[in-house]
Amino acid sequence: MSHCEELLVRVGRGLHAALPRPSRHPIKALDAKGMELASSDAELRAALFRLVDVTPACRSHDDLARHLTEYLKEVDERPQALQAAMRVAHTAPGRAALGAAAATGVRHMAHRFIVGESPQAALGVLEGLWKEGSACSVDLLGEATFTSEEADRYAARCEEALEVLSAAARSWPQRPLLEADSAGPLPRVNLSVKVSALTPLMRPEAPHVGRDDAAQRLRPLLRRARDLGAHLHIDMESLDALETTEELVFDLLGEPEFGDGPSAGVVLQAYLRDSGRQLDRMLEWARASERRPPLTVRLVKGAYWDHEVVEARQHGWAPPVFEVKAESDRNFEELTRRLLDERLTKDSAGKPDPWHPLLRVAIASHNIRSLASAIAHNRASGGEDHDLELQVLRGLGDELGVAIAASGLRVRSYCPVGDLVAGMAYLVRRLLENTSNDSFLGEQQRGASIDELLAAP
Amino acid sequence: MPNPANPANPVHDRAAPFANEPVLELRRAPVRDSLTAALAELDARLPLHAPIMIGGERGADSGFESTDPSAPERVVAYAGRATESDAGAAVAAASRGFREWSARGAAERAEVLVRAAATLRERRLELAALMVRECAKPWPEADADVCEAIDFLQYYARAAVALERGPELVQVPGERNTMRYVPRGVVAVISPWNFPLAIPTGMVAAGLATGNAVVLKPAEQSPACALALVEALHGAGLPPDALSLLPGFGEVGAALVSHPGVHTIAFTGSGAVGLEIVQAAAETPDGQGHVKRVVAEMGGKNCVIVDSDADIDEVVPALVGSAFGFAGQKCSAASRVIAHEAVHDALVERLAGAVDVLAVGPPERFGTDMGPVIECEAQERVLAYAREAGQAGRIAASAAAPSGGWYCPPTVACDLDPDARVLREEVFGPLLTVEAAANVDVACETVEALPFALTAGLFSRSPATVERVAARLPVGNLYVNRGITGAMVGRQPFGGNRRSGIGSKAGGPDYLLQFVEPRVVTENTMRHGLVVE
Ligand SMILES: Cc1cc2nc3c(=O)[nH]c(=O)nc-3n(C[C@H](O)[C@H](O)[C@H](O)COP(=O)(O)OP(=O)(O)OC[C@H]3O[C@@H](n4cnc5c(N)ncnc54)[C@H](O)[C@@H]3O)c2cc1C
Repeated sequence: MSHCEELLVRVGRGLHAALPRPSRHPIKALDAKGMELASSDAELRAALFRLVDVTPACRSHDDLARHLTEYLKEVDERPQALQAAMRVAHTAPGRAALGAAAATGVRHMAHRFIVGESPQAALGVLEGLWKEGSACSVDLLGEATFTSEEADRYAARCEEALEVLSAAARSWPQRPLLEADSAGPLPRVNLSVKVSALTPLMRPEAPHVGRDDAAQRLRPLLRRARDLGAHLHIDMESLDALETTEELVFDLLGEPEFGDGPSAGVVLQAYLRDSGRQLDRMLEWARASERRPPLTVRLVKGAYWDHEVVEARQHGWAPPVFEVKAESDRNFEELTRRLLDERLTKDSAGKPDPWHPLLRVAIASHNIRSLASAIAHNRASGGEDHDLELQVLRGLGDELGVAIAASGLRVRSYCPVGDLVAGMAYLVRRLLENTSNDSFLGEQQRGASIDELLAAP
Repeated sequence: MPNPANPANPVHDRAAPFANEPVLELRRAPVRDSLTAALAELDARLPLHAPIMIGGERGADSGFESTDPSAPERVVAYAGRATESDAGAAVAAASRGFREWSARGAAERAEVLVRAAATLRERRLELAALMVRECAKPWPEADADVCEAIDFLQYYARAAVALERGPELVQVPGERNTMRYVPRGVVAVISPWNFPLAIPTGMVAAGLATGNAVVLKPAEQSPACALALVEALHGAGLPPDALSLLPGFGEVGAALVSHPGVHTIAFTGSGAVGLEIVQAAAETPDGQGHVKRVVAEMGGKNCVIVDSDADIDEVVPALVGSAFGFAGQKCSAASRVIAHEAVHDALVERLAGAVDVLAVGPPERFGTDMGPVIECEAQERVLAYAREAGQAGRIAASAAAPSGGWYCPPTVACDLDPDARVLREEVFGPLLTVEAAANVDVACETVEALPFALTAGLFSRSPATVERVAARLPVGNLYVNRGITGAMVGRQPFGGNRRSGIGSKAGGPDYLLQFVEPRVVTENTMRHGLVVE
């Protein structure tokens, strides 16, 4: 085993050992049971997703119960409890009870992933996270944007969130690890935004149209973030949005008024076959840019894998993503190394200058192997722990977040905020991820040993 | 970067199973650049010439012209104006060509079709550009049109080879039963301008694959697109007599329909013309040794039902695409939304907002959501319907349209008087109406009451509702939880019922049967009490 691989395994074991014991909370246990059921049976899983998906559109508990029983009819082998559920659904009072139970279940699941209906309502959770050693990035969930009014409303919600969070975060206690790295201070307030929500004109075949329209709404947000000292992160969506997003961010951040701020970031998706070239473009941009705050790059694997593959198949295109999970994992590690190595500028003597990096690096994953590879490479190449940020999703990576914080590393939790209707698409995606056989979390849940979990992809 | 005009495609080989031709990946900038370059090259060659072509002879090529709907002063092509006597000459050539062509086996004919498909593929950028100019098709739809044309050639080539084998019959000792399908003779194809390459290609390919000879009368709005098809087939080794091109107007079509030498008429177009054809084709004068068969694909009044449990996030873009794609000029286009009263108002509001931001403009511009309609009369018709909708109800949205071409604003109308004409008649343009219904069953009654039955859509997340509506609606193509246009060859065989069409579905497994006659031979194989097989 190479030196770096050894270090990686040591780090990974350390993180694993720092995971809190599984909670004994009865509702959490029920949740886990449900997930386990869903992961074990594809038909059941489909029924669960369809239920979650339709819940906000159902007009009554009766309506919800009717949908639930219809979905269950398509499951060949129904566990006892569900068999019983279908029997009660034959009467109106039975349906009302079943519908109420299903609604409660879905709401409960949503609460696991969504921290509050509004930024105001989320403050308690966010402050709690901060005190426990985790920063956050708030993501405002919303329905799809088709109209200018909807885009305006989303931008207004973003602005409001920046203000509410900034006002509240001032009184949070100091957490030095979360507030600065070698390049300087890190904002306490961090908002993730989606370009597709900022414009109704996302057109994959005409990136300039969405770019120009979204720019009109992103520019005021950047100004607000700059004035409040907050960080704005631009999420990455499906490949259809990539060119629009990339052009938009690079164009706007290059405008003179944003030379000193705000701190801003973009996302690099390792599942894209073309992601290496995308990183080239980011580095090239950063080298040419005269902005003061370094661009943060959040490395992820990518959340739209099924969509990309299905869309490519339906059109007869070569899928733009890797089709073997291990290839995404390997590329993730490769991009991690490149980010960590190439983020640094050289001083006049040709030595790496940690105080003026081109990029700040954030590694977002629930895969302990993927995280450990970043931590290990950073250490092996002489980097400081506090120059590496690790990110997890609320609801999926909570325990991992605790373990990262306990290990003295900087962690940020991505916290969706919004109501159930708005959050449904997000919720379904997270559930998919959590019950996918291919995922790290799935393997972990099935009880794979730490050696298996840390094996090189 | 692979050449976008020739993406790696395994379907070149006729032995390979059918697969749809991949559309271009327009989200990639180099692909877009290649199309823009192809358009510039085409523009440098305009105007084109589309001659009358009978038996491979190029005839007159300047009787009328096709123009660019987004800039009507630009002539795209001069075309010969075929006459009744040209129709006679073309049918005579076809009768000669039929003998040679039908004598070739299905496999050999299939080779020709597949070679023609390869030619279209090589010319796909140029052909897409031609559709942008001649019919104002926006790029994504122009490219899809070329792909569909390629698909028809590929699909029917394979289907005809399979058909030639004939079905299995019951066999008993002492007799041999065989059934095979033989071509009917001469096919007259009368095609529209809205799929100026794909639809003529589909009808022509079906006729040729099964061994018929064809006379093609394309829409007067798109003669140059039709010429590209004829050139590809002739270049692929089709006997010149087996396919003639008669650019022109209604009178040539009528002459073909009533010509006693024509056996089959394949028509796609308006209901009025379709019914005239049915009537004229039924005339069987003395000396005509056969009864004509008509395959007619006509109009629709396509409804989309939105139930209360629908995902409005999916409904809105699907409706916008289905109603305003190619300015609503598809026979499958959505024209009437019937929404559950619980979601009606929210749907109208979001739909209206989505239509307000549509970019109406020249089709060659990437980012244009909707181009002009095909011609001045179409523009007048659509605007008249929109005015009427405004009087009979409320205009919820109407995006700005530029002047200069045959532009119409994409329009959403609601709160309509139930007797309004726009709720019953085919508009064939960018006008969508939305009305409320108490529930899905009431909505189904509304759909059933229409004389048309082409496409329909349903948005519901209840499996029982989907099953019930699918069993009930008479339409030829029902789309569930998606847009209602864009049928793919082999995947969504396409065609309507009731007054929307007669005949079976294009791009489907039984389409070719309309171009052939079955013959059964039964042979006694007993001789003096012995089986001599
Ligand atoms: C803080 C945070 C922010 C995020 N922001 C974004 C964002 O802006 N945009 C975005 O797209 N995603 C984002 N994600 C989601 C992320 O992309 C992943 O979907 C998610 O984290 C799962 O990856 P993993 O490394 O945690 O788990 P793993 O289980 O190790 O990996 C699962 C991932 O592998 C990939 N994969 C699965 N199957 C295959 C296959 N057969 N072949 C190839 N690859 C496969 C997929 O990307 C899948 O998500 C974010 C995640 C986090 C934690």
